[in-house]
Amino acid sequence: MIRNKKAAAKASVLATAAALLLSACGGAGVDADAAPAGDTACGSYVIAMHAWVGYTASAQVITEVAKANGCDISQVPLAEAGVTYDAMESGSVDLVVEDWGGGRWQEWADRGALVEVGDNGNIGLIGMYVPQWMADEYPDITDSANLNKYADLFVNDESKGKGAWYEGPPGYTTIGEKMVSANKLNFTVLPQGSEAALIDVFTKAAENKTAAIGYWWTPQNFLAKVPMARVNFPTNDWTDAGLASGLTDYPELPLIKLATPKALDANDPFTKIVKNFKWTNDDQNAVAADIESGTDPAVAAQKWIDANAETVAGWLK
Amino acid sequence: MSDTKETMFFIAKPKKIKRSWLIAILFAAWVVLARIFQGKATLVLAVPEDTSVTTWAGNVADSIRGNRSDGASFKYFFNPVREFINGFVTGIREIIAIPTGNSSIPMLGWLGVIAVIGFVVYAVSHLRMAITAVILVFTCGALGLWTDSMDTLAMTLAAVIMSLLIGIPVGIWAGLSDRALKAVTPILDLAQILPTLVYLAPLALFFLIGPASATIATMVYSIPIAVRLTAFGIREVSVSPVEAGTSMGTTKIQLLRKIQLPMASRTIILGINQTVMAALSFVVIAALIGAPGLGKPVIDALIIRDVGGGFVAGIAVVLIAIMLDRSTSAAISIDESFVPAPASARRRRKLGLVSAGVATIICIVLSRQFAWAAYFPEQVNISKPVANVTESSIAWITENFEFLTTGLAKVITVGILNPLEGVLSNSPWFLTVAMISLLSLILGGLRSAFITLTLLLAIVASGLWFDTMITFTQTIVATMLTMSIGVVVGVWIGRSNRAERALRPILDAGQTLPAFVYLIPMLGFFGPSRFTGIATGIVYSIPIVVKIVGQGIREVPTNMIEAAISTGSTKWQLITKVQLPAAKKSLLLATNQGLIFVLAVVVIGGLVGAGGLGYLVLVGGSKPELQGKGLIAGFSILLLGLMIDRIAQYTVARNSAPKH
Repeated sequence: MIRNKKAAAKASVLATAAALLLSACGGAGVDADAAPAGDTACGSYVIAMHAWVGYTASAQVITEVAKANGCDISQVPLAEAGVTYDAMESGSVDLVVEDWGGGRWQEWADRGALVEVGDNGNIGLIGMYVPQWMADEYPDITDSANLNKYADLFVNDESKGKGAWYEGPPGYTTIGEKMVSANKLNFTVLPQGSEAALIDVFTKAAENKTAAIGYWWTPQNFLAKVPMARVNFPTNDWTDAGLASGLTDYPELPLIKLATPKALDANDPFTKIVKNFKWTNDDQNAVAADIESGTDPAVAAQKWIDANAETVAGWLK
Repeated sequence: MSDTKETMFFIAKPKKIKRSWLIAILFAAWVVLARIFQGKATLVLAVPEDTSVTTWAGNVADSIRGNRSDGASFKYFFNPVREFINGFVTGIREIIAIPTGNSSIPMLGWLGVIAVIGFVVYAVSHLRMAITAVILVFTCGALGLWTDSMDTLAMTLAAVIMSLLIGIPVGIWAGLSDRALKAVTPILDLAQILPTLVYLAPLALFFLIGPASATIATMVYSIPIAVRLTAFGIREVSVSPVEAGTSMGTTKIQLLRKIQLPMASRTIILGINQTVMAALSFVVIAALIGAPGLGKPVIDALIIRDVGGGFVAGIAVVLIAIMLDRSTSAAISIDESFVPAPASARRRRKLGLVSAGVATIICIVLSRQFAWAAYFPEQVNISKPVANVTESSIAWITENFEFLTTGLAKVITVGILNPLEGVLSNSPWFLTVAMISLLSLILGGLRSAFITLTLLLAIVASGLWFDTMITFTQTIVATMLTMSIGVVVGVWIGRSNRAERALRPILDAGQTLPAFVYLIPMLGFFGPSRFTGIATGIVYSIPIVVKIVGQGIREVPTNMIEAAISTGSTKWQLITKVQLPAAKKSLLLATNQGLIFVLAVVVIGGLVGAGGLGYLVLVGGSKPELQGKGLIAGFSILLLGLMIDRIAQYTVARNSAPKH
């Protein structure tokens, strides 16, 4: 009996709570600020946000410029490649500002889900790097032909008696296994799942003066903080990583913008920005450096926009 | 055949010494053979290379993709489901997180939300808990993350409510019927072990990016936990009350309602708590497919390697976890007290409820009328100091304990990992297959050996044998370390309420602090290595082991303990001879869940240099040309988990069989 009463009391309390919630559904006291009245000539778009700071820099600059021209922009953090392309196909995302994939979107482009808009001005260059102190101490180490001579320096508990070769993150173009076998290098390829892991390797190698060889790339602001030297392999002779022999180096890769047909056909300011946006590695690094030192991405982007009004005006033509 | 029979004859004798000798001989032979044939027939497969199976999986994925827009399944199934879930989530978000209609705030401003949370918690439990809940939620706001926290709270509530609506009924069914349990177990294993990243992209393909996909991904992972613990709780109810009920002619429904459910309630609550924890551990993954909440600040911080900022967001997740966990537990413990409260206390409580209700209404109205009560005050912001303190203490630990952390990593890596890898992955595949099957035969018998052999051959056929063995090695080491730490701590908190109270926030943090938050510190401690992957697995899986073991120890009947004490048992004897054996089923469930939780973060291990299947899942997720390989890697993790779990189950079943 007592328990039943208690249950009833509890039910009534919950009902009160529900009533409280419902009573809250009445008229709203705090009204929305009126939407900024601007050019209504631009539509609403969604930009995919991938998880590296250079990408954030490019995407944020585009966002700010588009907003200033009356576009309604939202950003969605999103995993790279497949998930993003699918999202473009279903209409949930309109723009990828920096794709390193070298054509991995082809299947989606064939179905008309997305369009390759051309390069964004940034040139990606992947390579194998050693900490600067090694290049200073062993000047010939930057020639891949001499790597075996120093292989013993790189041995650790993970590397099974051979030199440890820290390979790039999963989403990136990586041909380390081919390079090691084609050049008969006495190294074990250790797959690193994240940029963070590589940064840890290089930071410690610089701080403790330990040996390390790993995958790195430009544009990336990290190189400005921890100096590293690129190990050069014979001049590149491939563009499709799948067909690379592994004997030669990574190629220079113009980074690509991808957009939905909807964004490209709208012919509004956003279309122009997407088509014309182009900047240099130095530009991206400058904005990325500000973001990394804790500046709000929107503020960092605006700072660059203010300083480069002419370039920005060019995108809107 | 005769050979097998002879072996069987040997084993069938319930002489433990014989079996351990057999195992010792097997291991010795294994090590010697592995040494002799080292590096031969290891089936290493370079990352960019496919096998016929992985190519096939990739083609299947492609064909689904190409055909998705047309078809009735979208019109009549996927789209309505998406709409429903999105509507449900949005409904909750509009109350606490996102602006509704033409207003710039949600239905409730921050003051209103806090008041409602306080009131509801007070109503279902007691004042102290209500104050705690209010402080916890307020702190989320003070961390500068009010809106993100509310989004996460809304998403979690939605996922948990739907998970429980499905999970508890299925759990009851599986608790009552052996056949139901047999039918659902493989599905639970599948859903819990298959890495989320494997089905995340397909989910987003069918349900689009956003809250719906994120909620479904969360539910896939959290429903099994609700089902398992509910079923376990009902099965644990001792036979005598059920028999007593049956003999008095109670109906099945009455039996369930009056005896089984009330007696299982503590375990079911543990299930609800764990469902909440599981849902919260998805915050970051949800953000990868565009869901709102605290995952975004975590990722933003990770992008610029802002360790402190990441922790601030991670702490907000943990605070929400603690708030939900404590409130549900407190609500139940109120229900459990059978002693009726005196009339004066009841009157006091009624008065308290009425005044709290009035205060709540006032707060709600205020939060809808005045900006100060609508928008969380920006002046109250402790995120900077919290970020600085965490960052400097992590830096301090990294600097001063490096010898310890790297030393520990080295001991485990050189002493255990490398030799074990030498035996499992760096020897011919047929040797490893044969030896694991023989071990399974000795431990669990013929059926166990048959299942083991089948699963191992399936892994070989997938083409990812080598990577699977790399992951297997790490899983063994991680699970062993988890169990040895987890059982000790579990016994401790099972015996001491104070220890339980002290450790619980840490356990909750281990389970819900997103791994992405401590990825960089972990790398700082141990460097990118297999050990770092193992450490991540341990952090994530210890809490559930400790909680289940602690619960098991608590549920050992008091009369058993009293009897033991009266016969003069020492504390040590009490633990090893009475409590642990009596909690054997809990230990088994803890091992099973510990293993599954370790496997659940294999993919996170791939992020920090552990290689193996986890890395391949990541590769498949981000390189469309290798998506098939990623899918098969996910299924290999599943096969591996099934194999270990089944060997363990058969071994236990055999050992607990009545002695001849």
